[in-house]
Amino acid sequence: MQIAKSWRRQGSHLRMEGVMCTKCKTLAFPAVMICTNCGESELDMYQFKGTGRVIEYTVVYEAPENFNEQVPYIAALVKLDEGITVTAMLTDVEIDEVSDNMPVNMVTRRIASIGEKGPIVYAYKFAPII
Amino acid sequence: MKAGNNIKITGHSMLKADEKWELGLIDMAVTAAKEAIENSGNILPQVLICANALGAAMMDQRNLAVHVAGQLGLHDIETLDINCGEASGGAALRQGSAIIKAGLAETVLVVGAEKTSDALPEQLESIRAFGLNASLEAHFGFSPSIGAALGMKAYLKRYNLEHSMFYHLARTAHEHAVNNPYAIFPFKLNESQYLKSPVISTPLTVMDTAPPCDGAAAVMLVKEDLNSENKNKGIYILSSSSITGKLGIPLPVETLELPAVKKSIQESLTCANLNIEDIALFEFHDSNSFFSALSIESAGLSKKGEVLKDAADGKFLKDGNYPLWYSGGNKARGNTIGATGIYQAVEACKTLMENSFSDGKKNALIQSLGSFGAQAITHIIGKL
Repeated sequence: MQIAKSWRRQGSHLRMEGVMCTKCKTLAFPAVMICTNCGESELDMYQFKGTGRVIEYTVVYEAPENFNEQVPYIAALVKLDEGITVTAMLTDVEIDEVSDNMPVNMVTRRIASIGEKGPIVYAYKFAPII
Repeated sequence: MKAGNNIKITGHSMLKADEKWELGLIDMAVTAAKEAIENSGNILPQVLICANALGAAMMDQRNLAVHVAGQLGLHDIETLDINCGEASGGAALRQGSAIIKAGLAETVLVVGAEKTSDALPEQLESIRAFGLNASLEAHFGFSPSIGAALGMKAYLKRYNLEHSMFYHLARTAHEHAVNNPYAIFPFKLNESQYLKSPVISTPLTVMDTAPPCDGAAAVMLVKEDLNSENKNKGIYILSSSSITGKLGIPLPVETLELPAVKKSIQESLTCANLNIEDIALFEFHDSNSFFSALSIESAGLSKKGEVLKDAADGKFLKDGNYPLWYSGGNKARGNTIGATGIYQAVEACKTLMENSFSDGKKNALIQSLGSFGAQAITHIIGKL
């Protein structure tokens, strides 16, 4: 079940693809079937740049199952340059190096392991722009 | 919800919220349902509704109401399950009310039941996370507690406050649970205990979250005409409102507002022809301190940024301006997740029947939240 889900979500989870409404130009991430602003159903694929800044973050010590091995990890709100805020983990950065408004970009990393015999799930995290 | 029949709560029951190793989901639901039927004078329901959030995800019984009806020997009645995440209890209460309002039935038994102790804490957190956006938030290691931690941090930063100020919300709930025999933690909480509490996700600690519990509660809703000898006596559901707003963790964290909470409260007050000052007690959805703070402010009981100071000043204690969590709330009574809305209704009934309030106030406002505050379901319960 997880393999099919991961395949279906590859556009958003691996490439940060969303959509732009052909009528009102509203952006959405991840992709939606209908524009949430005007109801238009003709939407074009939109490639988000994958860059933004950290607007809030927390250090997680008690995580949901499948994320335990990454504790402590940094869970953040990242405001993309296009103006949409996404929830994501930060990576390639120490806890005491994170700061508000820190510029970050999207990288592909292992998100979780679904049990001992399940697939390893990859998706986006955000890392500091060097 | 305004026009239609008056809805009276003629019977209610609840189990103590705690870890019930010897009882399963159906056992608890049946126990609460049977007591509510007996307390109502053995009125038999034409409809039985079960509120439950986690059963299917916990690999427990689906279509719960069918099985509860079966064990109660209630055959040839309508049954219905309601799952709106943590707002399930409020949603079930609203659905039961709507059925009577519409004239589809005259007696509806609404049961809320939840079994949390069969899962390990990290499993439970994972299951609860899927009440968020599954592919965008739960998939990325977020949970309601982690979202609340982000919100708490944003709140403290915006209003330049210390984390210790959140103690006063937890203190209020615990102080009110002291004499509640149905509460899992009926003790006063001191600041030292609060500050020593283990961190879940900075700055949110265990004491900023409500402990998940097993439990079940039930209310019997009856069309007023059936109880004509006691007409205008007892407790009624005066109004109901359900609002779904914009989704996602970012919105309440960035804005420090819960628009659905505000709109749902305003709508329920308007429907009941009441204003906020007519309410004797409030039960907000305190699954974590962040929601507690924003709910109180969204209701207009505190100005923005001042809820923690107001709590420190005792504004929400029983003798304060706006008594809150009169029986301990989720924080001290215990969080029965999808059953919480029914617990709130039962507690409000008992409190209104057993107490007198200043200025002749005789109404309670109860509210359930789902999907990180995007869904708010409010009921006003009281005397006519």
